[in-house]
Amino acid sequence: MSETVIDERVTDEIAALKAILLDDELNIKENDRGEPECIETVLFPSTGEDSQSQYVCVTLIVQLPVGYPDISPTISLRNPRGLDENTVRLMQSDAEAKCKDFIGQPVMFELIELIREHLTRSNLPTDQCAICLYGFREGDEFTKTECYHYFHSHCLAAHIAAAERYYREEQEKLPQWQQDATNKFQAICPVCRESINCDVESLWSAPPPIDVEAAIDFSVTTELRELQKQMAALFLRQQQRGGIIDLEAEGVKTLVRTEDEPGATTDGPNPPGTSLNAYSNQNMQPVNHMQMPQSKQSSQTQNHAHYQSRQLHHNYHGHNNHGHRNRGRGRAHYRRQFDRVRQTESTPR
Amino acid sequence: MAALPRRIIKETQRLMQEPVPGISAVPDDTNARYFHVIVTGPEDSPFEGGLFKLELFLPEDYPMSAPKVRFITKIYHPNIDRLGRICLDILKDKWSPALQIRTVLLSIQALLSAPNPDDPLANDVAELWKVNESEAIRNAKEWTRRYAMDN
Repeated sequence: MSETVIDERVTDEIAALKAILLDDELNIKENDRGEPECIETVLFPSTGEDSQSQYVCVTLIVQLPVGYPDISPTISLRNPRGLDENTVRLMQSDAEAKCKDFIGQPVMFELIELIREHLTRSNLPTDQCAICLYGFREGDEFTKTECYHYFHSHCLAAHIAAAERYYREEQEKLPQWQQDATNKFQAICPVCRESINCDVESLWSAPPPIDVEAAIDFSVTTELRELQKQMAALFLRQQQRGGIIDLEAEGVKTLVRTEDEPGATTDGPNPPGTSLNAYSNQNMQPVNHMQMPQSKQSSQTQNHAHYQSRQLHHNYHGHNNHGHRNRGRGRAHYRRQFDRVRQTESTPR
Repeated sequence: MAALPRRIIKETQRLMQEPVPGISAVPDDTNARYFHVIVTGPEDSPFEGGLFKLELFLPEDYPMSAPKVRFITKIYHPNIDRLGRICLDILKDKWSPALQIRTVLLSIQALLSAPNPDDPLANDVAELWKVNESEAIRNAKEWTRRYAMDN
């Protein structure tokens, strides 16, 4: 007879899983013969009832092959939150080893226990903040979003404030009938774009990330200088064959000149043939906005002036030590710093 | 407050240490917020074999607002206008501070592989791309050969 008999060891295991895990924690997929073929569950660190202090999680997916448990299942770990790659890799290899040890016996509970232990041990985000690109240190204030993404509170505050400002500015540009009547800004997660709800005021009270404050300065390396040279050479070659967009011929420069600050044009820092200035005036608009450049003129003018003054400021204060006289020393200094950064970066946190 | 945000420094270092294949981005000598960029035309696209120069500028509130990016090398593409400006959502309303210089440039490279004439910036190019795709692709190849090849 071709009727499939599901292994009793498996039916018992599934029944026990269903009894212990909540419905929304467990997802069992069956094949068309009604045999379980894939078990999926989101796991958190063991923190008792306190879900507020669960900072990491991962989805465990176990594919049961025909013949399980006499054949090892396939493990995958998806949607890791707050975990760096090394931790996830370690969890994966430990889980695979566990499966080998348990050939012939149900392994689901062992796996769940194993992953939970790992999560409990690393129940602090080990990944970096996606906003500042620096890690989380003892003493850093960070925020866990509803979607389990982590940011330094300070960084997240800056993101939400900037996003809200952008939203308001965009609203004001629209004719009244197109504006969002609720005028309600919804913050979203920078990583996954899920809606998030945070108290920006309290986020702002957090200090800036420790690593960011302690980071070293940057200056130009020999490799960089070599790349710069190659870039410049390519630019010249393309220019000779007429391959470079000529902003002057396109009539953009005229627009720019009227807004330039005195003095900024002649000895400005822009490399020859480039057009930073053009940005501020001709903001890259999606095409449907392009018919009405006049209405935006005033705000762009402001932006432009703002940018120019900033650029000058940067040149006066940011690069004083990169002059030709100091170049050699600066480079050696940078090398040392550079190597140190490389070391710390390759050390798993 | 430092002249240059740490994040920009970190991104610059990473771009040097772990370069993205087909993309190079080098900060300018006099302005560390200004990057000289080369994106190679993706394989199996009409831009294959081309070396496209772009300029990328990180505004003061970067990464809270998007980098400004523009093609410097001429390119025949429905979403890039004759000034080299790029129609790409992540450079406008879909910007997120979790994006980086490298991800922005990868997205631009992907745009070269997948032109979208239904969301045009260069209207004449988009029009031709819609009514006569093979001719548009021929043009794109010809522009690549003429302006962006380095031999």
